Amino acid sequence: MKKKSAFKKRNKWPYLFCLPFILAYGIFSLYPMLYSLQLSFFDWNGFGEKVFVGIQNYVTLFTKDPLFLKSLVNTVILMAFSTPITVLLGLGVAYLLFDVGRGKRLYQTVNFFPYITTPVAIGFIFSYLFDWQSGYINKIFTSIGILDEPFFWLGSEIASKVIIVIMVVWRWLGYYMVIYLAAMTALPSDVYEAAAVDGAGKFTIFTKITVPMLKNTTKFLLITSLIGGLQMFEEPKLLFGGWAALGNGQTGGPGYTALTTVWKFYNDAFGLDSRLGYGSAIAYTLFVVIVTFTIVGFRISRGRGDRDE
Amino acid sequence: MNRKIQRKAGAACKQLVLIVMTLIMFFPLFIVFIMGTYYSEDIFKGMPILPGNYFIENLKMVLSKGFLQAFLNSVIVSVFSVLLSVSVSTLIGFGLSKYRFKGKKVILAFVVAVMMIPSQVSLIGYMLEMRKLGLLTTLLPLIFTWAAHPLGAFLMVQFFSDSVPDELLESGRIDGCSEPGLFIRIAVPCIRPGIATLAVLIFLGSWNNYTLPVILINKQELFTIPLMVNTLSNAFRSDYGAIMCALGLSILPMIVLFSLCSKTFIKGISAGAVKG
Repeated sequence: MKKKSAFKKRNKWPYLFCLPFILAYGIFSLYPMLYSLQLSFFDWNGFGEKVFVGIQNYVTLFTKDPLFLKSLVNTVILMAFSTPITVLLGLGVAYLLFDVGRGKRLYQTVNFFPYITTPVAIGFIFSYLFDWQSGYINKIFTSIGILDEPFFWLGSEIASKVIIVIMVVWRWLGYYMVIYLAAMTALPSDVYEAAAVDGAGKFTIFTKITVPMLKNTTKFLLITSLIGGLQMFEEPKLLFGGWAALGNGQTGGPGYTALTTVWKFYNDAFGLDSRLGYGSAIAYTLFVVIVTFTIVGFRISRGRGDRDE
Repeated sequence: MNRKIQRKAGAACKQLVLIVMTLIMFFPLFIVFIMGTYYSEDIFKGMPILPGNYFIENLKMVLSKGFLQAFLNSVIVSVFSVLLSVSVSTLIGFGLSKYRFKGKKVILAFVVAVMMIPSQVSLIGYMLEMRKLGLLTTLLPLIFTWAAHPLGAFLMVQFFSDSVPDELLESGRIDGCSEPGLFIRIAVPCIRPGIATLAVLIFLGSWNNYTLPVILINKQELFTIPLMVNTLSNAFRSDYGAIMCALGLSILPMIVLFSLCSKTFIKGISAGAVKG
């Protein structure tokens, strides 16, 4: 009884503690979100007159704008390659690093550098590395005889996609590695000992015990990379917006092969036309796509998780 | 004996793989730092591996294009983003983890749910809102965007639940400490590592932010580093040496900062993942 009254007395405090966040979220996120939602039913360039068009923006998106569907497909393809590669490599490197002893800290630190590098720099570096005339990759390949003459990497649709996947893997590998390492360190060590006593080899222990025990971490990485991957923008945009723009300043790379959904959103909303309503419609459609993918992802991983536990 | 040799060979192999991989991972950054020290035309002649002697000239060029101003802007934006975001997240984290009150579950569920919302959904509205408020001629929009950071709030809830025992707060109450006093004098000092962790995360995100400044900022005096470097490259396309130098200078602060406190960094980055 006494305790209850004590609770009542400071009842206003938890609300006051939560208030700044709720206010800030309302002002800087929720209101803009609703504003965008409303705009998605209008045709507006930000200055002239707003014209109500109903769901026309959404209809156009799916019926009259082949670039939108292409951008969705591009995004999914880029994600479908970069995510599993990064997860597998991250897991592998974490396995190598786990009990390496000498140099662990150094390897960890250096491999993490790309993650903290400004995306603008990443775009530049890669468009330089794969530059047609002066890039390192062409210079190396021609000097050791893999290529007879410089290859126009950023002019090829497939090569462009591959380069973007390499960029994404390069940027995120250190992050995945660190997360896996942290999770591996948190695992109870007695399981390993028991397995080692039973005569299991190191690699068997890793595949049969460690990997299944890291299930939740893998799930987390897959789902966050799904959400992040569907919003891919900086890598392709800066790859073709930086160095490569010197020769060919086109949007989306050759044949729009690198045009992701968020890049398309960015171009439509903030390009010369500034179609804010249409851009909002793209953003909301992407939102629905992300939620769908995430729910499906959760379902799949949960379905399997239940059986294991 | 055989076993021992085998193990040694295995360890050597491991080291070799790791060294090769680390070199490959570092190579692109290495090139930036090396090329920043060359005269543009020399870059095309060969494949420079050792530093050149043109660094000072490139540096002068970069500085003359407003690098210091951009650096200052980036520092201002990042520092204030961290202060704002950490304060707001810490407050709600404390409220949600250390009290029982009506609506707590709803707020917590809300915080977790909105983590999934992509930022593009609010981007157009945010730009228009800031325009209407007349803030586009200031750096404030780049700071406000970090005010309500759902991941930060969620991390803080976790940190408070894990490392501030209820008994400690209760004994503070018996001694007559007010609720805000409990927060500042008892709870916050307990989660200092958690705060450092969140600060690092926000700093990183804010420092490297590219999309928002590109959309919101169009005055040269307000450019942050990513924007300045991007513009530099478009504005004078021929001076690759200077561009690389600017890139190197924009990466370097983060690398130094990270190398100095990589433990906090790594803890911060893995905190959300391993717990979630």
